[in-house]
Amino acid sequence: MTKIFTCICCFFLVAVFGPKSVRANRSDDRVAKAFLAFQQDTSKKVKATYSSTADTIGQMIRTLQKFKTNRDTINVRSSAAVPNLSLQQVIKGNLAGVYVQEPNGEPGTEQSMIVQGASGLLFSKKDIYALQPAVYLNGVPLVQDNPFAFDIQKYDYNRVGPATNLLSQISMDNIQSIVVVKDPYELAKLGPNAANGAIYITTKNARAGVRDISLNSYFGYVAAPSVNTVNGVYENNFRKPFYQKYATASNYASYASYLRDSTNTAYYGPSNWNDLYYQSTPTFSADLGITGGSDRANFRFFGSGTKNAGNADDTNIDRYNLFFGINMAPFKWLTVSSTVNTARLDRNRNKSLRDRFAETRYIPDLSSPLSPNASIYSGYLQESARNVDDNRSNILNGNLNLSAKINKIVISTSLAFDYNEGIRDYFTPSTLMDGVSYVSNYFGYSQRLLLNNFATYKYEINAKNAIDFEIGQSFQGDTYKYNYARAYNGPNDYVKLNIVDGNAGSDDYLNTLAANGFYVFRYIDKERNNLFSLYASAKYKYKDLLTLSALVRRDGSSNGQPNSRWVTTPAFNADWNLKEQFLKDNGIFDKLHLSAGWGRTLRIFQDDRFAAGPQYRSENGWFEEPTIPGYGGRLGINRPYDSGFIGYNISLPYAERTNLTIDATTLKGRLNAALTLYNRNDKNQVIGMPVPLETGYSANYQSGMDINNKGVELLLNGLVIDQPKSLSWSTGLNINYNQNELKALPNGVKELIYNNDNKLVVGKPVGSYWLYANNGIYNTNAEVPAGMTFNGIPMKAGDPRWVDYNGDNKIDSKDKILTGNRQPKFVGGWNNTLSYKNFDLNFNFIFALGQKSINQYEATKYGFVNREAGNDINSVKEVSSWQTFSNEKSYPIYNPWSDVDAYRTDQDLFLENSSYVKLRSVTLGYDFGKTVLFNKATGKGVRRAYLYATAMNLFTITKFSGVDPELVNYNGYYDGANLTIPRTFVLGFKLDL
Amino acid sequence: MKNMINKRNGFYQITIGMMLFLIGLGNFSCKKIDDVQSTRLATEETNWKTLEDAKANLLSVYGLIRSATVSDNTHWLMGDLRQGDFAITNRADLKAIVNGQLNASYPVINRITNWRRFYAAVNAASLFIERSKEIRALDPRYTQLNNDVDVAQARMIRAFAYFYMVRIWGDVPLLTSSHDGDFVKVGRTSKDKVLAFCTNELLAAAQVVPFRYGGTDPIMPGLYYGANWPSWNGIVFTRLSAYIILAHIAAWQGNYIDAANYSKFVLDNQSTQYFVDGANPLDYIDMAALTENQNNYSPFAYKRATLMVGFPFEAGNGLSTSNGHIEQLTLAAPYIPKVQPEMFVTKDSILKIFTDPKDLRFSIDPISGLYRKNYFTNFESEQPIFSKIKVIYPSNTSGNVTLFSSSMVFSRMEEITLLRAEALAVLGQREAAINALNKAANLRGPIVYLSASSKDLIDAIFEERRRELMGEGWRWYDIVRYNRIKNSNGVFATKNGVPMTFKQFETAGGIYWPVSQDVINANSLITQNPYWQ
Repeated sequence: MTKIFTCICCFFLVAVFGPKSVRANRSDDRVAKAFLAFQQDTSKKVKATYSSTADTIGQMIRTLQKFKTNRDTINVRSSAAVPNLSLQQVIKGNLAGVYVQEPNGEPGTEQSMIVQGASGLLFSKKDIYALQPAVYLNGVPLVQDNPFAFDIQKYDYNRVGPATNLLSQISMDNIQSIVVVKDPYELAKLGPNAANGAIYITTKNARAGVRDISLNSYFGYVAAPSVNTVNGVYENNFRKPFYQKYATASNYASYASYLRDSTNTAYYGPSNWNDLYYQSTPTFSADLGITGGSDRANFRFFGSGTKNAGNADDTNIDRYNLFFGINMAPFKWLTVSSTVNTARLDRNRNKSLRDRFAETRYIPDLSSPLSPNASIYSGYLQESARNVDDNRSNILNGNLNLSAKINKIVISTSLAFDYNEGIRDYFTPSTLMDGVSYVSNYFGYSQRLLLNNFATYKYEINAKNAIDFEIGQSFQGDTYKYNYARAYNGPNDYVKLNIVDGNAGSDDYLNTLAANGFYVFRYIDKERNNLFSLYASAKYKYKDLLTLSALVRRDGSSNGQPNSRWVTTPAFNADWNLKEQFLKDNGIFDKLHLSAGWGRTLRIFQDDRFAAGPQYRSENGWFEEPTIPGYGGRLGINRPYDSGFIGYNISLPYAERTNLTIDATTLKGRLNAALTLYNRNDKNQVIGMPVPLETGYSANYQSGMDINNKGVELLLNGLVIDQPKSLSWSTGLNINYNQNELKALPNGVKELIYNNDNKLVVGKPVGSYWLYANNGIYNTNAEVPAGMTFNGIPMKAGDPRWVDYNGDNKIDSKDKILTGNRQPKFVGGWNNTLSYKNFDLNFNFIFALGQKSINQYEATKYGFVNREAGNDINSVKEVSSWQTFSNEKSYPIYNPWSDVDAYRTDQDLFLENSSYVKLRSVTLGYDFGKTVLFNKATGKGVRRAYLYATAMNLFTITKFSGVDPELVNYNGYYDGANLTIPRTFVLGFKLDL
Repeated sequence: MKNMINKRNGFYQITIGMMLFLIGLGNFSCKKIDDVQSTRLATEETNWKTLEDAKANLLSVYGLIRSATVSDNTHWLMGDLRQGDFAITNRADLKAIVNGQLNASYPVINRITNWRRFYAAVNAASLFIERSKEIRALDPRYTQLNNDVDVAQARMIRAFAYFYMVRIWGDVPLLTSSHDGDFVKVGRTSKDKVLAFCTNELLAAAQVVPFRYGGTDPIMPGLYYGANWPSWNGIVFTRLSAYIILAHIAAWQGNYIDAANYSKFVLDNQSTQYFVDGANPLDYIDMAALTENQNNYSPFAYKRATLMVGFPFEAGNGLSTSNGHIEQLTLAAPYIPKVQPEMFVTKDSILKIFTDPKDLRFSIDPISGLYRKNYFTNFESEQPIFSKIKVIYPSNTSGNVTLFSSSMVFSRMEEITLLRAEALAVLGQREAAINALNKAANLRGPIVYLSASSKDLIDAIFEERRRELMGEGWRWYDIVRYNRIKNSNGVFATKNGVPMTFKQFETAGGIYWPVSQDVINANSLITQNPYWQ
């Protein structure tokens, strides 16, 4: 592989420079002169007679922007004044059809984007990784963290390593446009990377001009929320009714030890932990962009530094972003352009117990939770200060494009790369883990190299008819790797490194398990996959009336099985200008387009396991101890009984999309509307099918799961009031309605129980919950129908009255129903800008409606008996749980000691509507650049001097009973463990010189 | 100007070069570009080729059966809790087991009643039996004898897995080949058939496997996979292991003639592992080895010959874990930083069980009033700590690291000796039985059962098993065997208020566990154990 790659690179260099050097030998002076001419040209020629936009990427964007810039793009101008950190936050509610989940207010944590409905399952973190769209930065398809690291994890709350959201790397002030690509034809052009859709980001790039300097900065703070704290009294009172109703003497005997003594100030004293936990924290940013140069050679530089803070638990992230772009047109027909973007992300993570125990995989005695008392809690924080928790991501990506125009042929080649590495060093002292210190080190990287070549040829048949041809090929190589070691019980709390004996003569030479050192567990994993693609397309254009495009591509993925890894897929598009055709003289419509497209794209596996067919892995562990390496000190290999059998005949899945869009501009350009109907079929996906467990396997992976998403998108952009001299109001609304349906399962199966806890039924949404229906309580034994059992357990007074749907007097999994949906029906946003003279006011609403979630937080609160008895990860009581919420629901008082587990989460008791509408941001700004003040003082120097104040997350309208309906985990469970999304207030300026 | 033209031509060459490059790249073998050999797994092309493959695949079968028996502390939850000696502090799931509500709706109960983990070991063993011979043809280092011995071990593990499952669930599906890649649906097979299969397999395997691996055993002399006997003892099943399992199957079936014969074979052949080939000997263990992790003999703390049937978790191999050991359930302060144990033996029970004032495991000196602390700590408290087994990382008896390294011990010399005593007693060979009983009991103080004793011998043997094997996952199965022998008409259990004798209870399927609903959902041929329907 390396060889091939080196070979390609050499060939590339030779191809470009080879002929030149060969010729150079022939005649050195000519080269020298030519070079001189080149220099002179660029320095002298200010007024070029031809354009030199070396924009291989731009072509694509231009085709997308055929409906003006306001279709499916972010309003960059208003977004730039909002102190968002990540791409997902920028997009949330602002791109039609993109559902963004921000389940955690902790800055820099992972977030999810789902474009036009979920194309796969939604039950685990791994599933969510597989649903993410491709993000292109200046044509570079950014490489994601690979979820294969979850294989070695016991808990999947966070991926090992820094787990930083890599899409925090881009600074909004450097962005020219953000477009969501949903059009089947364009997606087919992008290929298998974009099977889930694509977000196409173009940064502000080098361009010609005298000079262009922009300086932007903001400063503000995230506000600490006001919380209603409680102490042991509340907890005690909360438990009282349960004990009064159901407790036996032995239940009383095992009453929670920390609540027993009401004179214990640790739990019964003042509850003021929030003073230390929630803090108003500054958040700030500054950046500088310089663009300049001539038509023949120009550049852009951009640098920024940002500190984005959370309001809880001292969390924040520092981002440093540098960007450099250059365009050159050494000759009329040749353009060279290159961009390099680099970022560093340093994250300060939370100190929650759950995340720490999930990392250490070590649960100490939990019988005494953290005290709500600030003076005691501060002791904990002091010990926590001895933690080491360095989380760093380094990101470097960029491209080099060459484009040559020879007559009507344009040949382009581009080399794109993205490399990101994550480093995490973690240490926690023995004082925090019952006398055992812990250290872990992670280094991992993801790397992508993409070589893209294509040639276009424009064939003009006559003035009315023209055809654009394009052929291209690309090669993409991805590598993912990590080294991870976790270790316990170092010699003391000052040794925070795992040191081995370096003396080759020693018995313990390099022995990580040597006595007196840490007890070390090491994990190393690496995965590579290649993608090779060829495509050809033709676009026929008849006047300004009709455009027909067709594309065929052939992709081969190394993650496919050898006999099915090459797949040919087509795509078509038609665009009909109705205005030109029928309404040429009509005054109502300024523009009216109808376009339709159909395309099929290959989808590639994230994991290389499927390519291998029947295989052997080292899977010797069990649920609680998933990474047992072998037996008797020797590595063992066996069939993947735990992760599931993979046979032959697994073929690659593919995505099919149909789009129909009508787009109109009316009222003299003041109203633009676009209506899109889409139908997505994600076919032939692989799913672990249940098998008889007597075969030893948990599942058998098979191809054949089809998922359909269809929906409607409406975009409305209007200039409601247009009085440039006084008030104007422009508004933009986007709404997406999506309907998800499981269409087929492998082998014609109609329904299956997936991983024991979820059910998939053909015809239902994949995000459905599978729950018992709760219908109250059995108050007395007499109320229980005779012989009624719950999974074989006789039901008694105090047990929930679950609905016996099949009437067999037994409540079991046959009585569970599919209900609710993890995914919203409607998502969208409403963005408004009011401007009056030099003032402007922007406010942005976002919404997601129709999704349901399980309130696991309340389930564990009510099920305190089982939670506290367990001493497992679910028994953890965070300091932030010492509070109550105004909108909390109250639930029936069941017998918490009952063997039926009355407060189980797989019942609709805890299912609730988590729809929301949020006022995401309000910005008030004033442009001094237009005032006399600046014009006089600096002549024509200042183009814009904009001063603004922005407030974020001002209010939420929701029926949800938790803190925030957004803080629901990807799997639909609200566990209350995530940090709140803070209110942010900033004051900033934007200066364009 | 002339130069310019020339230059243009020159750059045309570049573009020609670029085009060549395009075409050239297109002609790269696409197949090769897409051939990425995974470094994360072995495929059918790479496995079953070398001696090392045989070793890795065989040891994984052991690894899987170890995981099956200890995952979620199965061995102790199923063996020590039902009508056992332990009381539960808080955990509702453990309380449910103690109360006999084995279908209670708790995650741990659901997982331990899912038998997939045993079938993973069964399938891996079958696959090894079927496939390992392929290596013979490809790697000359892999001798026929080596292969035969390996296959015999796989058969022993498979038989052990079935026996272990039959004890838990009664009738279980019997799959004797891997059906690799073919997901067959099989219903339950009667437990007698399954046990007959196990017996045949073990008898056949016992003819093949040596008494020692990697040593001077004439059956298989020389290093085994490059390692000597000290590095293999306590890890792999020997010929003695086969006979121990055979003896237990026979005893479980009530076939005490065979049980006596098989256990006799084991005891008669102690010498095969007694101070040979440089390893610590197979021997009866004293109190220090039993409770203080004495280095040369402790079957719990180290892989030693004394671990006759069992599976080690050696700290030195990176195998200390928190789950999968009885310590997780029973230890607390002062041994580990934990306030309360999850289960303990009540003071009353201790006094009832340990009656001999000379018993070193536990007894109260009638004169001084002091008590012996080998089995229990904090006897005075409400929750005495059952501290018999305490192997805390790496092999300490106390410490802060709550990762444990104790082996899953199925059988050791004392256990098989007591089983022999039981068999002989049932067969009426009273003197021999008393000898065997005293042989074991004497290790724990001068405890002697006199042949003139009026105490029932069977009772005495089972009481000694109860004391000696406490916390080793035997109690429930001993209760079953004891009641089968006694066949008393007393009330053994009540279901829905209806009292049942042991016989009625057993006939109704009460001695077996329910099977997880997940198993039934996945295979329509599996029905729930009638007692739990």
